[in-house]
Amino acid sequence: MKYETVIGIEIHCELKTKTKMFSGAPVTFGAPANSCVNEIDLGHPGILPCVNKEAVRLAVMAATALHCEIDPLVKFDRKNYYYSDLPKGFQITQQFHPIGTGGYVEIESEEGVKQIRLNRIHMEEDTAKQFHNEAGTLIDFNRAGTPLIEIVSEADMRSGKEAAAYVEKLRSILHYLGVSDVKMEEGSMRCDVNISLREVGTTAFGVKTEIKNLNSIANVQKAVEYEIQRQSELLDQGESIIQETRRFDEAKKATVSMRKKEGNVDYKYFPEPNILPIRLADDWIKEIQEHLPELPDARIQRYQSDYGLNDYDAGVLVNNRDLANFFDCVCEHTGEYKLAANWTIVELTAALNKANYKMDQNPCDPKHLADMINMMKAGEISSKQAKTVFEEIMLGKDPKTVVEEKGMKQMSDTTELLRMINEVLDQNPKSIEDFKNGKDRAIGFLVGQVMKASKGQANPAMTNQLIKEELSKR
Amino acid sequence: MELSSINKNNIRETVLQAIKKAKALQPALNAVVTFVDVEEQLQKLEMMDPQLPLYGVPVVLKDNVNTKGILTTASSRMLSNYIPVYDAHIVEKLKDAGAIIIAKASMDELGMGGTNLSAYTGPVNNPYDTTRISGGSSGGSAVLTAAGVTPIAIGTDTGDSIRKPAAYNGVIGMKPTYGRISRYGIIPYASSLDHVGYFSTSIEDACVALSVLAGRDDRDMTSSYEAVPNYLQSLNSDMQGKRIAIIDNVQNAITDSKIKENFNTLIEQMKQRGAIVESVHLNEDLLSVILPTYYILANAEATANHSNLDGIRFGMREDGDSVEEVMIHSRTKGFSTNIRKRFVVGSYSLFVENQDKLFRKAQKVRRLLVDEVKHVLDTYDATIVSATGSIAPHPQDSIDEQLSSEYLIAENHMILGNFSGYPSMTIPSGFVDDMPVGINLMAKPFDEQTLFNLGKAIQEETGLKGKTVEVKL
Amino acid sequence: METKDQAYFKRLANQLMFDVSDQEIKELQTEFEILEEQIKMLERINTDGVEEMIYPFEQETQFLRDDVVDHTIAREDALENVKAVMAGHVHVPKVVK
Repeated sequence: MKYETVIGIEIHCELKTKTKMFSGAPVTFGAPANSCVNEIDLGHPGILPCVNKEAVRLAVMAATALHCEIDPLVKFDRKNYYYSDLPKGFQITQQFHPIGTGGYVEIESEEGVKQIRLNRIHMEEDTAKQFHNEAGTLIDFNRAGTPLIEIVSEADMRSGKEAAAYVEKLRSILHYLGVSDVKMEEGSMRCDVNISLREVGTTAFGVKTEIKNLNSIANVQKAVEYEIQRQSELLDQGESIIQETRRFDEAKKATVSMRKKEGNVDYKYFPEPNILPIRLADDWIKEIQEHLPELPDARIQRYQSDYGLNDYDAGVLVNNRDLANFFDCVCEHTGEYKLAANWTIVELTAALNKANYKMDQNPCDPKHLADMINMMKAGEISSKQAKTVFEEIMLGKDPKTVVEEKGMKQMSDTTELLRMINEVLDQNPKSIEDFKNGKDRAIGFLVGQVMKASKGQANPAMTNQLIKEELSKR
Repeated sequence: MELSSINKNNIRETVLQAIKKAKALQPALNAVVTFVDVEEQLQKLEMMDPQLPLYGVPVVLKDNVNTKGILTTASSRMLSNYIPVYDAHIVEKLKDAGAIIIAKASMDELGMGGTNLSAYTGPVNNPYDTTRISGGSSGGSAVLTAAGVTPIAIGTDTGDSIRKPAAYNGVIGMKPTYGRISRYGIIPYASSLDHVGYFSTSIEDACVALSVLAGRDDRDMTSSYEAVPNYLQSLNSDMQGKRIAIIDNVQNAITDSKIKENFNTLIEQMKQRGAIVESVHLNEDLLSVILPTYYILANAEATANHSNLDGIRFGMREDGDSVEEVMIHSRTKGFSTNIRKRFVVGSYSLFVENQDKLFRKAQKVRRLLVDEVKHVLDTYDATIVSATGSIAPHPQDSIDEQLSSEYLIAENHMILGNFSGYPSMTIPSGFVDDMPVGINLMAKPFDEQTLFNLGKAIQEETGLKGKTVEVKL
Repeated sequence: METKDQAYFKRLANQLMFDVSDQEIKELQTEFEILEEQIKMLERINTDGVEEMIYPFEQETQFLRDDVVDHTIAREDALENVKAVMAGHVHVPKVVK
C-alpha cells in the first residue's frame, strides 16, 4: 500500500536573555549547580512571577520574522502537572492567548519552495535539569525559569527531508534574529516530531507517534525516515500504530518506545491570576518590527543581487551566520566579491578546520583578507603567493608586511619579464611550433616555464599576455 | 494596646513586655507558632529615626508571611520545618517603618479555614472565653491584638479570614483593596482572592498601618500604582450626607435578636450624625450561590498554588522508592484530611470536561455578584451589615469553610469583598452575652478613607477605641 | 457523569500526588453529593454572555520587568531547606523520563 507521511513539529527554543522569564536571577550556561537561582525559580512558597521585558521583545521578533499575527495583549496560563523538574507544580505558559498565531516558514522541497504553516508561537518557562546516575537523580535548578518560546507547526511536512529542512530553516531564522543560541546539541533548541501515516488519497489523520530527544538536524531526518519505514511495515502487516512517545537512539539509528500515552493528560489549564494582562505599546512593537536584523532569505537575495554571487556560494555563506557576517566585513574593504566569497568559503573554512578553531575564535582580520584580495587583483602578488600570505594572515599578520618581509613583490616590470619570456621561448622551439599549429595548451606550458624561471614572482596574467604578443611576433 | 501607648524612650522594655505577655497567654490562647528573637532588630533600631511611624512597635505576623531565616509554617505540617530564604514585601515595609516582629501567629492550615481549629499547633482560643473559637484563618493575629499583646497584627483574608475573627475577638480587622498591599512573600491560598490586611484596636492605628503597608511593589504584578494617602491626616468622622446602604438580605437572615438590636442601635446613631442610611436588596439567587462559587474558585486556585509543596526542595519530605512515591508520601502526611479533600474538589473543577460547569461558571457568577455590589456602591459611599450572625461559637458548633446545602448568607457575605477586591473592614460594635460583635463596612475600590472615616464615627459611638481584654488565666 | 466509586477518588487523589483513606473517600462521596446540588444551583444562574472574571480588577498593565539581574540567592540558601543534597544538587530517587 502507498502511504502519505504527515509530520508536525514542536520546537522549544531558549531565549537569549540575561534573566529568567519570571525572575531576576541570571540565565547562565554551565554555572555551578543551583548557583543561578532565587526563590522564584525554586518555587518557594509565596513567590509571584514578574514578566521579563526582553523575553517578550525577543518573542515579538521571532513572531514577526515567522509572519505570525501578534497579540498585543499578553496573557499567561498555568499548565498543571507534577514532576521533580517543575518547581511550582505548574508551568506558566500561554495556552489560551499565544503571542503569535498563524505564520509560516518557507523551505526548499523537491517540488520547489513550500510554505510550512505555523499554528502558534508562545512564551513559557523552562524546567530544571536532571542528571540520572546510579545513586539517583540530581536536580540543578539553574535552567528552571529560563525563557522559552515554543513554535508549533501545522502538520504540513511530508518527508524526513522536509522535516529537516523546516528545522534547519527555523534554526537559521532564529539564529539570524539573535533571539536564541539554537544549539540543538546543548538543548537550547529542542525538537519534538509528531508523525503519522495515512493512505494516499485519504484525509483523516492516522495514529501518530511523537519522537523526542532529537539533538541534531541530521537526526531529525534519520528518525523520521526510520519511523516512516517502521509505521508502514506495521500497517502493511495489518497492525495498528500505538500512540506513544518514542526517542531516537543514535547508536541503533532507530526510534525506540519511551512511554505509551494513556489518553490525553489533562493539564487543567487556567488563566494565571498573578499576571494581569499586559498591553504592549503599539510603538514598541512597531519599533521592534522595524529594526529586525536581516533574515537569511534576504541575505541570500542581497548576496546574489548586490555581490553577484551564485546560488551555491550565497547559500553556503548564509547557512553559517558567523561566516556570512565575516564575509560582509571583508566586502566592506574590497569590491572583489566573488574572490572574497571563494576565499571565505574555501580557504578560511579549511584553515579554521585545520587549526580546530570555531568561527568565534577566527584570528583572521577581514580587512587583512580584503587587502590581500586587492593585492591579488592588482597583480601585486600571484594567487600562489596569496596562499602563503593567507597562512600569515591567519596568524594575525598584515598582508602588506608579509609581502615585504618575504620579498614577494610580483614581477610586473615588463622589460625584465620580456627578457625572461624570450629566453624561455628560445629554449622551447617545439612549443612555438605547437602554438603555431593551433595547440593553445602550449601557452600554459610556457607560462609555467616563466613562472619557474622567476621563482614564482612573475605576474601570471601579465606573463600570459606578453607570451601571446611575443609568439605572434615570431 | 494602641500605638500612642508605646513609650519610645524605652522600646526594649515595651517589646520585651509584649513578648512576656504573649508567652504568658500561650497556654490559654495557643496563638503563637514561633517567637522571634528580637535582639538584632532592636540593635538595628538604634540607627533608625524615632519619628518613623512604627518606631519600636511590636508587631505579630500571621505565619504565612515569609520571614527570612525564621520558621514560617502556614500552620501546616508540610511546612513545619520551612525556613524562608527571603522576606515578604510587607516584612521589609514594617522593618523600614521601625516595627519589631515579635512572633509568628497561628492560622488555619494554609489559610484554608475559618475557625483556626485546623492549625498544626492546635486550635486558638478566644480571649473573651477560651472555650470558644478565635475564628480564622487569621486567628492567632486576631487574639493577640484583642489580648493587648501588640497594637497591630498582620493577617490575610481570602474569604473573610481577617474580618470574621476581628468580629469574634472585638478588634478592627482591615482588608484593603486588592492590589493595595503587595502579596509578594505571602504563602498563598487563592491568588485572585487573597488580600493582605491587619488587626488593630483603633481606627487611628489602622490608618497608620495602611499608610506603612500599602504601595506598588514590582514583584507583585497585581499590586497597584495608586498613590498612598496619609489616611490619619484625612481622618474625619463627619457623617453629614454620607450615603450608607444596609444589605437587607444579610440583616434579614440574622436570627439573633441581640445582634440585630446592636446593629439597629448603631444605625440610629449614624442617622443622628446626619448619615443617609437606606436598605438595599441584592439578588437573592445570586447571594445564595456565594458559597459554591467561592468554594470552587478558592479550591481550584489553591490546588495549583500548593502544587509546589512536594517535599523536594523544602518542607517535610517522606522517603519513597521513586520521586512519585516521595511526593505522594510527603503530601499525604503533610496535609490534613480536609486540605486533601479540598484539593480533590479544586482539581475536579479544573478538569477540561468540568471547567464550563464548575470553574468557568463560578468565574462568571463571580462577575455577576461583583456587579451587584458595584451597582450598590455606584450610589452609596459604603455598605454596612452585621459582620457575623452569631458570637464566636464553641468548636463543636462552628461551621468551617465547607460546602453546605444550607443558605448561610449571614455567615459568608463578607466573601463579596474578596470577589470584588473592594476594601472591607470589620469594627467592634459592642457585646452580646459578654462576647464581642462587630459590623462590617465595604466601600469603593481604593476608598479606604471612607471606611476609616465611618469607622471613626462608629468608634466614637461605641467608645471601644483601644479596647482589649484581660484574659482569665 | 462518571460513577464516583472508591477507585475514582483514589485516582483523583493520586493525580494530585497524595493518597486518601477509605474514610476520607466516604467523606468525599458525601461532599460530592452536596457539590452536585450546588452545581445545579449554579446552573440556574443565567450567565449567558457573561465573561469569566479572572482578576478582581481587570485593568491592563504596561509593566514589564527590565532584563537586569537583580536578585540571586546563595547556593547554600537555595539548598538550605532541601532534605537530600548531593554534590550541590537536589537529590531524589532515580526518575525515569
